[in-house]
Amino acid sequence: MIDEDQINFIRRNLLKYLMEDYLPFPVNKSVCYEWANGLNLKKGGETIIYTGCSYQLAELGKRFDEILPTLSKFKGVERFSSILKVFYKPRDTRSYKILRNIASVLKSSVDFGYLYENEPYSGTILLEMGMIEEFREYAKKLIELFNSHGVKRIITVDPHTHYTLFRIKEMFSSSWNVEIVNYFEVIKNIKIKSEGTFVFHDSCLYSRFLGMRDSIREVIKSAGIVLKEDEMITGKETSMCCGGPLAPINKDASDKIARNRAEALKTVHNKVLLVCPFCYANLSPYVEAYDFAEVISGE
Amino acid sequence: MSDWDIAIKRGVEHNVPRVFKVLREHPYLEDLARKVREGKLEVLSNLDHYIEMTMKSVEMIGGKAYFVENAEQAREIVGKIVGSGKRVVMGKSMVAYETGIRKYLQSIGNEVWETDLGELLIQFADEPPSHIIAPAVHMTRERIRELIKEKLGIDPGDKHEDIVRVAREFLRQKFLTADIGITGANAVAADAGSIVLVENEGNIRMSSVVPPVHISITGVEKILPNLEYAMYEVLVQAAYAGLYPPTYINVTSGPSSTGDVEQKRVSPAHGPKEFHLILVDNGRRKANEDPVLREALLCIRCGRCHFHCPVYRALDGKWGDPPYSGPMGAMWSGVVYNDYKPALLCSHAGNCREVCPMKINIPKVLEYLKSKYFMMKAGTREG
Repeated sequence: MIDEDQINFIRRNLLKYLMEDYLPFPVNKSVCYEWANGLNLKKGGETIIYTGCSYQLAELGKRFDEILPTLSKFKGVERFSSILKVFYKPRDTRSYKILRNIASVLKSSVDFGYLYENEPYSGTILLEMGMIEEFREYAKKLIELFNSHGVKRIITVDPHTHYTLFRIKEMFSSSWNVEIVNYFEVIKNIKIKSEGTFVFHDSCLYSRFLGMRDSIREVIKSAGIVLKEDEMITGKETSMCCGGPLAPINKDASDKIARNRAEALKTVHNKVLLVCPFCYANLSPYVEAYDFAEVISGE
Repeated sequence: MSDWDIAIKRGVEHNVPRVFKVLREHPYLEDLARKVREGKLEVLSNLDHYIEMTMKSVEMIGGKAYFVENAEQAREIVGKIVGSGKRVVMGKSMVAYETGIRKYLQSIGNEVWETDLGELLIQFADEPPSHIIAPAVHMTRERIRELIKEKLGIDPGDKHEDIVRVAREFLRQKFLTADIGITGANAVAADAGSIVLVENEGNIRMSSVVPPVHISITGVEKILPNLEYAMYEVLVQAAYAGLYPPTYINVTSGPSSTGDVEQKRVSPAHGPKEFHLILVDNGRRKANEDPVLREALLCIRCGRCHFHCPVYRALDGKWGDPPYSGPMGAMWSGVVYNDYKPALLCSHAGNCREVCPMKINIPKVLEYLKSKYFMMKAGTREG
């Protein structure tokens, strides 16, 4: 159930990549910020949109999780990472569209900049794996980076990045006095592109760790979206995880959780609305899934 | 769908809405749960004192009390009380499983029967329990039918009721002829020396009253400051487990007694003439010294977290070191077996915390165990 070689492999490499490149695995940094090309977002500023590279890396992370069991058995495989960092640029155009849409909806209600090539990955995987001491180390580096750019207010766009920053603030409350808001708390006057009814798959973090279950539903409904509910499947205590966080540890269990969740959601409605890139990556093979930011637009 | 998938789906569909209904219909239960948490924290903040108080109270009412540090000591004491060549009936006790009592007693020449239906099925199949209070939740009734056919040579048929009837007929005769009854304890009252047990089948009542000797074995974290708190504990446990009101609540305070002759209290009367309480440490006191792990000791074993956990479901119930399974089991694998690996499998869905009557922040405890695992690895030369 637990492959300790695999866990050791992750342990050896993860923090190294993060500390060197602000990325969890060897991939060209442009993958993270290319989505913003042509949007004319100003560079930096006190208020920034911060993606944490979640959307951009979710699908890629899944591919890494698939090859991890084999990868961790190869001696010396780590040597190839410097090559990958230069040449490996797997663009996820769907995620780019989502981020562009969020940015354009946000533009109408708030003034913000973007860090472009300086934007770091959030470090959420360290939290997920429970590598808390390592997370603390990386968090210090993130605080330094945000401080060096004079960032005072951060707008997050996904639950994992939001939760990660929340945890960093909790850990370093005295030294990091930055306001963290989520785009759901900021966006106004949004409309669904065409009429839609969905079953909503809650993000575990938004719903049960960040207390945003009701406020997110309010925003979704205010856009004209109809949500189908079932107490046994979409309730606060009953709605289940997509399996994503377990993928690096046990891919089979992660997939089984995803299939179970997709089957349950389908009994409520065939179209699933979600708000997390990892939920999308895990559930979309089994059910017709849409990110909230794919189905709405600003007025 | 696999056998497990079918069985757990039926289990969840029966259990989850029923617990919601119980809590809606009896709103006082949430208040009681809060009180139980307070009472347990009071004991844990002064555990050694309460262990001592409990043992004195048990002796005061004519029972014998023992404190054991580990499973081996527990087996030794039970072995001495029971001896060999006896017939033993066991009311479900997970601490008895943890300490290996059944197999040990069999190995020294006793006939031992689990009398909780789920536990009897586990004994028949020689499998570990898959849920803290519904040990055979992984078996479909189709499988149970085959198992009973194989072990007892009787085909009970396909209906739930008929399966239960066959088990009832088999076990009644064991209860009536047993030399020793062994149970656990849901709660122990430090002030009174009483143990409180909650159940529905009647097997615990029979195991604790019919045989001439009653042994109760339980963890030190089951102690509550007094009998009032202990009574609350069983009500809360029953409600969050989903069968409420519970069919039976059993309070046992020492061996049977009577005051009917001139109001002088004498012992024994019709029930057991001996009562033994074994309080097991096995890692609990060490966990109690750690402020994060102390939370794990608040668990009252209702098993509700299992039914709300996507990981438990996906791993076919085989998550944690038996008898501890599911989210609570991933914590308890760390508490009693120093095994932090099960915690690594937590996907922090967070449902367990939402449904826990003791408000244990289970994902936080598991995250802490994960970090302990990684710190341990970093401390070794591995990798």
